Amino acid sequence: MTADRDPGDLLRELAPQVLGALLRRFGHFDLCEDATQEALLAAALQWPRDGTPDNPRGWLITVAARRLMDAARSEQSRRRREDQVAVATPQSELLSPAADADPGQDRDDSLALLFGCCHPALSAPSQIALTLRAVGGLTTAQIAAAFLVPEATMAQRISRAKQAIKASDVPLSVPASEAERGDRLRAVLHVLYLIFNEGYAATQGDQLTRPDLSGESIRLARWLRRLLPDDPEVAALLALMLLTEARRPARTSPGGELVPLAEQDRGRWDQALIAEGVALVTGALAAGGKAVGPYQLQAAIAAVHDEAKDVDATDWPQILALYDLLDRVAPNPVSSLSRVVAVARVRGPAAGLDALAELESDRRVAGYHRLLATRAHLLGLAGQHGPAASAYREAARRATSVPERRYLSRMAAQQAAQAAG
Amino acid sequence: MKYLMLIYGNQEKWDSILAEEWPGAIAKQEAFNRKYSDTGELIGAYGLADAVNARLVRRQDGAPAVTDGPYLETKEYIASLYLVDCENAERAEQIAADMPWADQEPTEVWPILHESPTNP
Repeated sequence: MTADRDPGDLLRELAPQVLGALLRRFGHFDLCEDATQEALLAAALQWPRDGTPDNPRGWLITVAARRLMDAARSEQSRRRREDQVAVATPQSELLSPAADADPGQDRDDSLALLFGCCHPALSAPSQIALTLRAVGGLTTAQIAAAFLVPEATMAQRISRAKQAIKASDVPLSVPASEAERGDRLRAVLHVLYLIFNEGYAATQGDQLTRPDLSGESIRLARWLRRLLPDDPEVAALLALMLLTEARRPARTSPGGELVPLAEQDRGRWDQALIAEGVALVTGALAAGGKAVGPYQLQAAIAAVHDEAKDVDATDWPQILALYDLLDRVAPNPVSSLSRVVAVARVRGPAAGLDALAELESDRRVAGYHRLLATRAHLLGLAGQHGPAASAYREAARRATSVPERRYLSRMAAQQAAQAAG
Repeated sequence: MKYLMLIYGNQEKWDSILAEEWPGAIAKQEAFNRKYSDTGELIGAYGLADAVNARLVRRQDGAPAVTDGPYLETKEYIASLYLVDCENAERAEQIAADMPWADQEPTEVWPILHESPTNP
């Protein structure tokens, strides 16, 4: 049944199940995680040579448990108490057979693991690294390559994250209370969203050595949706990723420059991803009821863009209404700027500039390059090409990535030419 | 996001530190380096030789042409540099403020805009 699958894909799919099962019996996130990685490594070496075992999940759990026992025994003198727990657990109890494994238990194990990786005691970079390793089954070297840091630095970050979990008194389980569960799930969704953005923002780099983080976050979001099929925000996050990923072929020019949404060749958008994303967000909105979450709103906005045949055919009043809601549900500077663009499309550039002036009074975004770029865009629409060129130049100076800076400089030159002509 | 942190100084400043104070000063800096290496945020810390040891290199007719320099207009020059990868600018500022001599000397914090994909 598993013979025709890529062993790498299979291993990464099984990784969180194996770790989740170990964690439930033993706790000790750090030891279980190390043992699981060792078992995955052993499988990656042995399976291609000896063939995939009939029960791959059971094989991995057995090997990981053995490693865990070895590690526990070697620390026996130092950690007598912990050791007694590990050694006292009969191996048979650990090895529930895969064939009649309780799918509910597996689901809870996996969720507890994911919640643990997005633990509130960790910084966002640590949550991301741990999620990619423990849930995504990526190696430390792969994660280090994805974030362009040395492997030793990433190893240290992961090890520190595991220590922080160990030191914290937040239990490694799915919280019983609905409110706490909601908070923890929001943190999980945010981490997956950050992983997606990290991958989407990467416009350069050797794809062979740098893992595709957008693809990885989509895989994890699909996996999470299988665990929580009735959660509208989970479905909406997956929809948002698919609807954004659909534009990837059109978002950079052959020379590697960023192409803004309004100028993209929509014929190159991936219609299959759009159809799947639209269906998901439609279902989520229908199931979500009165309390619409931020991912449902963002996915709905992305769907309206993706379904328009060009920028002028876009249903801007609907987009503006969705941004108004988003501003109320989850106010944040980036979506407020996007709302300003929608205001300009619906009520004209002057109204857009007025709306922008309100945002400029917020100290947090005053010197933000995207705010300056938005102002430049609106000034250009209003026919004020000279001031638009200066605003684009200032935005370019403050940009935090090379593709953005190149795009903004190009726009500055374009506006300056129009001002002169 | 990666940041370059720079500390400036000059020989006069190093000379003003008493010999018996050096081990303690170095230990403090090493404790800082260890602390942020352990969090997985410090990628590298490097101390530079004095400016008299710096050279300017050009190419003339396809061969290296080396001269003394640079001739600095500022009194202080880069003494050490730190490469840090952390969550955001606030965190970078927090780390910079934790430098052992931050209450006497400022640390420059520069966001890194681009890095080569061939970096190890």
